[in-house]
Amino acid sequence: MRHPAGLVVTGLGVTTAVGQGKTAFTDALFAGAHRFAVMERPGRQLGTRFVGAELPVPKPTSRLGARELRTASLTGQVALTTLEEAWTEAGLDGYDADRVGLVIGGSNLQQRELVLAQDRHRAKPRFLRPSYGLSYLDSDLCGLCTTAFGIRGFAHTVGGASASGQLAVIEAAEAVASGRVDVCVALGALADLSHWELLGLRAMGAMAAEDHADAPAEACRPFDQGRSGFVYGEACAALVVERAGARPDAPAPYARLSGWSVRLDGNRDPNPSLDGETAAIRGALDHAGLTARDIDYVNPHGTASPAGDTTEVAALKACGLTHAAVNATKSITGHGLTAAGAVEAAAALLQLRQGRLHPTRNLTDPIDDAPHWVRDAAVEADIQHCLSLSMGFGGINTALCLSACDA
Amino acid sequence: MTKDKTFTLITEAVREILPELADRDLSESDTLDALGANSMDRAEIVMTVLEEMDLDIPLVETHGPQNLGELAQHLSDTAAAKAR
Repeated sequence: MRHPAGLVVTGLGVTTAVGQGKTAFTDALFAGAHRFAVMERPGRQLGTRFVGAELPVPKPTSRLGARELRTASLTGQVALTTLEEAWTEAGLDGYDADRVGLVIGGSNLQQRELVLAQDRHRAKPRFLRPSYGLSYLDSDLCGLCTTAFGIRGFAHTVGGASASGQLAVIEAAEAVASGRVDVCVALGALADLSHWELLGLRAMGAMAAEDHADAPAEACRPFDQGRSGFVYGEACAALVVERAGARPDAPAPYARLSGWSVRLDGNRDPNPSLDGETAAIRGALDHAGLTARDIDYVNPHGTASPAGDTTEVAALKACGLTHAAVNATKSITGHGLTAAGAVEAAAALLQLRQGRLHPTRNLTDPIDDAPHWVRDAAVEADIQHCLSLSMGFGGINTALCLSACDA
Repeated sequence: MTKDKTFTLITEAVREILPELADRDLSESDTLDALGANSMDRAEIVMTVLEEMDLDIPLVETHGPQNLGELAQHLSDTAAAKAR
C-alpha cells in the first residue's frame, strides 16, 4: 500500500571531494570526475599510503562565531556547511523551531581528530583540553547544528554503519509521518577516519589495499572484475523532509519519499546477505505500492567490496530489477561510509530532477552483464521511480524508494 | 614564573579560546565572565595556561580568583609553592 504521508524532499545539501554544493556535485557526477589520491590529511598515515578522496575544508558558516567554530571538528564544519545549503534551499529560517527536527546519521564520526588530540597529550595527559569531553561525543554535532540553526524539535544521531545516512533519511521520514515534527533534516555525517580505522578496515578485507597508490584514479571500481574493496571518500549530505504542501512557501520538491524498508540479518559480522538485501528491496517496493517493473533506476550500495557487489547484483536479479538502469555513485565520490546513504539519496534526487544518469567510473569488465549498467558516459533517462540501497556491517539492509512528484 | 609572565600567558590563551577578542586590550581587572567566557571556555583557557606553565593542579583549585590579575597571581604563587 502506498504510504499515506505524502512526504517529499524540499532541500538538499551536498559536500564531497568532487564537488562542494549540489551544482558542482551534479556537474562532477555527470562528468564522471574523481579526486582520488594518496590521502594527506594529518592523522591518516602512520606509514600507510592509502588512496581516498579528501575534500577542501569549507568556509565557516556565518551562523556561528569564531569561538564556537574554533572547536568544531572537520565533521562538524562540513555538517554546518551542508546543512546550510539544504536549510536555505528549503527556506526554513523563521519557521517554528519547535516543529523542526534533525537526525544525524553515523557514529564514531570524529575519530581522526580524537587520535590527533590523544597524540598531542600522550606525554602530558593531565593537560588534555576540557573540550575533549564534549567533542568525543557524536551528539556534539547535534549541539553544534542546533545552536547554529536554532532547531528545537529534537535532534539525535542514528548509527547503522554504512547504512547510517539512509537510516537518517528513513528516521526523518518516520518523524514527519508520525507528526512528531513538521520538518526534519536528515544529515549523513562525514566519517572522519584516522589511520587506525583505515588499517582495521583494510585488515578485515573491506577496503582496497595500498597497492593503488601509484594509480589512484583506477583504485575505486564498483562492480568491476578488478575491484579489491572500497575506497574511502569524505562526504556529507543533508535532505529536508516534510509533508507535501504543508508549508505554503516551500520550494518545489525534488521527489516523493514513496517507500522505505529496514531489514536485519541477525548477523554481527560484515558479510552481506542475499536474503536481507532482497527483503529490504521488496519491503520498500511494498511500502511504496510499487512492483519491480515500476523502477527505472537503482542507485546501489556498490562499494567495490568483492562479496558485497556480487551479493547486491544477485539481489537485483532476484528482485527482477535487471531492466532498471544502475550506476555506482561511489565510483565518483568514494565510500562516504556513514554519509554514503544520504549522499546517494541526494545523487538519485539530483539525477531524477535532471533526467540524466551519471556514468560509473572504472566499470571496464562488469562482474555480471545482467544489470543495465550506465558505464562510460551520462545518459538521458526519464525516471519516475527509483531505489537507493544501503548496507552496513552488522547485518543492516535499507532501501529507499523515491518517486517523481507526478508519478 | 612571574605574575607578569603568567598574565601574558593568560591573555594569549584568552585570545586563542575567544578569538573575537583578538584585537582587544586585556587588563588585570578584566574578568572571564565579562569577557564572554562560559564555563567551558574558562576551563579551556585555564588548562591552556596550566600546560604552558607545566603546572599540574586540579582545575577546581583555580576557581577562587575573580579577575585576570588575581588568576595570574594565584597561578604564579601556586607554581612557586610547588617548586619549593
